[in-house]
Amino acid sequence: MSRAMQSRLRAALGAGLAVVAAVLCGAALWNAWAADGVVTGRVGDRLTYPSPLEMLFSPDGARLYVLCNDSDEVRVLNASTYAEIKKIAVGHKPRGFTLSPDGKRLFVTNSWDDTLSVIDTGLLEVAATWPEGAEPSSVVEDREGKRLFVANRISNDVAVLNAQTGAEEKRLAAGRGASYMTFSPDGRRLYVTHVYPNLTEHRTAPESEMTVIDTARAVVVDRIPQHGIAGVFHVAISADGRLGVAAELHPKNLVPLAHLEHGGAFEDTLTLFGADVGNRTVEIPLDELERYVARPFGVAISPDKSRMYVTSGGSEIVTVIDVRRLLNYVRTHRAPFVQDLSASANYVVARVAVGRDPRGMAFTPDGHSVLVANRLSDTISVIDTRTNRVASTIQIAGPKQLSVLRYGEQTFYTARYSFQGQIGCANCHIDSTFDGLEWDLEPDGFGRNIVDNRLIEDLKGTDPYKWNGGNPNLPTECGPRTELYFWRSENYDDLTLTDLVTYMRSLESRPNRWKLPGYELTAAQERGKEIFERKVDKFGQPIALKNRCNYCHSGLKGTDQKSFDVGTKRATDDYSLIDTPQLRSIALTAPYLHDGSAATLEEIWTIYNPEDKHGRTNDLTKDELNDLIEYLRTR
Amino acid sequence: MRALAKVLPAGVLVALSFGLCGFASDPAQKVGADIIVTAAPVYAPLAVLRGEERFPKGAHLLLIHEGTAAPLAPHFAASADAQVSFDGTMVLFAGKRNEGDPWQIWELTLANRTVRKVLTTPTDAERPFYLPSERLIYALRTPQGFRLQSDETGRKPKFTPMNPSARPGPLQLSYVRASAFPTDVLKDGRILFESGYPLGSGTTPEMYLVYADGSGVESYRCDHGRARWGGEQLASGDVVFTHGASLARFTSPLAHEEHVTAPPAEYAGAIAETSTGAWLLSARASANAHYTIRLWTPGTAAMETVAAETGENLVEPVLVAPRTTPKRHPSALHPWNYANLLALDARLSRDGALKGTPTSVRLETQDAEGRAVVMGTAPVERDGSFFVEVPGDTPLRFTLLDAKGAVLRQERGWFWARSGEQRICVGCHTGPERSPDNRVPAVLLRTTTPVDLTRASKTDSARQAKPGGR
Repeated sequence: MSRAMQSRLRAALGAGLAVVAAVLCGAALWNAWAADGVVTGRVGDRLTYPSPLEMLFSPDGARLYVLCNDSDEVRVLNASTYAEIKKIAVGHKPRGFTLSPDGKRLFVTNSWDDTLSVIDTGLLEVAATWPEGAEPSSVVEDREGKRLFVANRISNDVAVLNAQTGAEEKRLAAGRGASYMTFSPDGRRLYVTHVYPNLTEHRTAPESEMTVIDTARAVVVDRIPQHGIAGVFHVAISADGRLGVAAELHPKNLVPLAHLEHGGAFEDTLTLFGADVGNRTVEIPLDELERYVARPFGVAISPDKSRMYVTSGGSEIVTVIDVRRLLNYVRTHRAPFVQDLSASANYVVARVAVGRDPRGMAFTPDGHSVLVANRLSDTISVIDTRTNRVASTIQIAGPKQLSVLRYGEQTFYTARYSFQGQIGCANCHIDSTFDGLEWDLEPDGFGRNIVDNRLIEDLKGTDPYKWNGGNPNLPTECGPRTELYFWRSENYDDLTLTDLVTYMRSLESRPNRWKLPGYELTAAQERGKEIFERKVDKFGQPIALKNRCNYCHSGLKGTDQKSFDVGTKRATDDYSLIDTPQLRSIALTAPYLHDGSAATLEEIWTIYNPEDKHGRTNDLTKDELNDLIEYLRTR
Repeated sequence: MRALAKVLPAGVLVALSFGLCGFASDPAQKVGADIIVTAAPVYAPLAVLRGEERFPKGAHLLLIHEGTAAPLAPHFAASADAQVSFDGTMVLFAGKRNEGDPWQIWELTLANRTVRKVLTTPTDAERPFYLPSERLIYALRTPQGFRLQSDETGRKPKFTPMNPSARPGPLQLSYVRASAFPTDVLKDGRILFESGYPLGSGTTPEMYLVYADGSGVESYRCDHGRARWGGEQLASGDVVFTHGASLARFTSPLAHEEHVTAPPAEYAGAIAETSTGAWLLSARASANAHYTIRLWTPGTAAMETVAAETGENLVEPVLVAPRTTPKRHPSALHPWNYANLLALDARLSRDGALKGTPTSVRLETQDAEGRAVVMGTAPVERDGSFFVEVPGDTPLRFTLLDAKGAVLRQERGWFWARSGEQRICVGCHTGPERSPDNRVPAVLLRTTTPVDLTRASKTDSARQAKPGGR
């Protein structure tokens, strides 16, 4: 071999090795990125990420449909290679979807549009868009293909639609925040869960329900009580129909929040139901003594019922449960189990780390893998069900850069900053809203200054914060205060706090369902508006400036950002001056008043305003109060 | 170490170290990092619980680098208790410059071997550990034995605590009339320490936890039994310790300890975990032998000797490597000289059902001589709840009484609440596995003012502060 040839060979070999090295490095970098979904550095742009939320395999197993919550799409992937086949644009904030039994249609609930997109899976196009109830969150179709059932989060009901035309047949009253549903395997029963608890007496344990619908008659046949639960998410039933499970939060809002250890703020639990557990409900804990399964969301039971999988948005893991061991434990031990943090050792067999804010899951048709949608990583973790390890991570195409808002959102949804990873912001602000609970925070003293949890949408320009106006701005509210009295552990750094606050200030108000198109007011709303703005009472007496509704609740958001004594101080309160809350989306956020003592808007005036200190209202009739409420709901 | 009879001159120690060490080939390669161990002719690890010396015949630190051991602090008459900084560049240790000195806390910079004195204390200061935010903890000798103490490292922290209760300077963390000796700082920021069980009165070595401001003291687990000591946390979060002479561990899922199936030997606590998950252990064949440093991979049958030295016990191995900084505990203590304690249901206990209905609870503390002093009683509600204001920073013990004043149950030992602490107990000795029931305790429905059992004038600057300031 000539020297020149040797040199060329060496060069070629070198180039080849360089290419291999580059490919390997690239692959390693890609894997590292895909594993966490994060690229270093944060940009200030408002980027639209896919945010995969739920997944479905087509009946033939050839396609994987991925519901993308932020990009308002359904992504269609090749189920073998996970290569993208198509993006299908749907409505705003799609939250749930289902395939028709024959797989020919894909129904998508667009939660902020109040619509249902009907996708022709042959054409992979939206064939129709049907109007829906308030914040449709999930949808299922009966086996006969006659009816669709749609869970509406804000109108607290399940709409029954003609599956062919979309015409609404009826509405079934569900619990508060109806959001997720599953059929019994025979299709005769539909189980509905709720992200908010039903209203209960002040300072009593939250009560949720699982609404059970007879699908043939389209009537509610049972309301299974879930005592002590506030925030229930996915529900699943085993293939043999004998075991049901729902993922949920078990708050400790009635106990002073003095510390987090020993499940001091939340426990993360499952409710089991069905014949396998004696046709009763059994609540079982997922947490351990020093490690929590913060915000369980998705549940899936393997086709052979050997395993149960639970995604945990805050802990960013999937918990794997041995069903046989679980049932053995439940049958051989005396309930209740929920206060025992060592119980999970009897049935949890693995905790698998996945991406940020894992949500929905889907089994591959062969049952060998379970896919996990990591909403805030834009990835899908593929867990090998035989080894309980992540076999691969699929990147959903989207922005390659991490924006400030996205990082802030990741911070909001993680539990990694709190002591032992027990809670995150999203524990109490479910899906960046509220939880409908009152809390006893520690710094004011045990049992004192009970506070209702507020909605956090459209916060800009509503400072100060806290019901006593004690926190001047969000960085104070979310920074040192949160570290000391919520996380009880080292908080984020200043940059992360800034990103978190930026995210929170970016949260928009959801569409107001009580406003007419064009923002015209109904006659009742007009009458209510007149009451809201009136200067003279019904007896012709002038109403003092500070006693008019629109004096404190002024401006676009209905707050002058000042504090007033409106006569709502309790014996357990240290202060009488209450920060004027904004009125945005007030219809959604019961209970009311600073301590959540008013179950309804009406009670604010009929029970808690005897001296007219909270506006002049005692001259009003019931109808007039109703008009006022009708108007307030438009704010 | 007050009773230290004789401390060998540093030069002799150097000669002994080089002359007598019998190290296995290339231990650094197996371990993946340099190792620091304490070498001592006599090692009595549990002596500290009696306020006595662990190293009655002296001790010195050895740095094992690429199979060669050398004294780490050759100019010290004695040195022990190495703790590597989170970035792996410095070593905190207890040392005596001169034979008659008390043990003091020093810091050595590995790059240039410069040494600085971190603290000057009137009595022995031992077993230092780094805390986040440029603080440290250590054991300070007192007439009642050792107590946990916290102080600054002398460097300016990147973070300045906002809460004045987490003030700079020295901070006493333990408040019982018994020795409390730190063994590790857990990833969640809590301090793992050992003391006798029952706390404040017993002699069986047991492991306890406390936050870095001295609040939240509790047993690590409540399956009390034989001696447990030398606890150290692994990367997994498990805490491995010596139980009797064998090894055991606490894991997050279990309320009780788990036996560690390790090769038969006597173990001396304080293990170090390598980056590959193997453990560096201090072990010996029998009570007559000396401890040597072994490398063991959990799940395997055999251990390998990494370091041994004739006539010396090699104990407390630490790796010279960066490690994860524990979480900083944000102290939420109020500016009070008392504490508030709320029991949610005093009837609950691992010890079984009460033989009667508790109607009141009696609080005792201890006087300067250790005698129990009754501070008063408070009513127990029908749901078992009670709410009391107690003196801060002093030993406390509760006793449940029935309507006739008969004792239904008494705490076995003593505990403390820090001044300004507000704490909730789920029950009386319910164990850390028990989480609270979500209900408003009856006592808070009746009153939110705790029964004052302090018998003292109180300071409470918070009540004069602006509401909502937190």
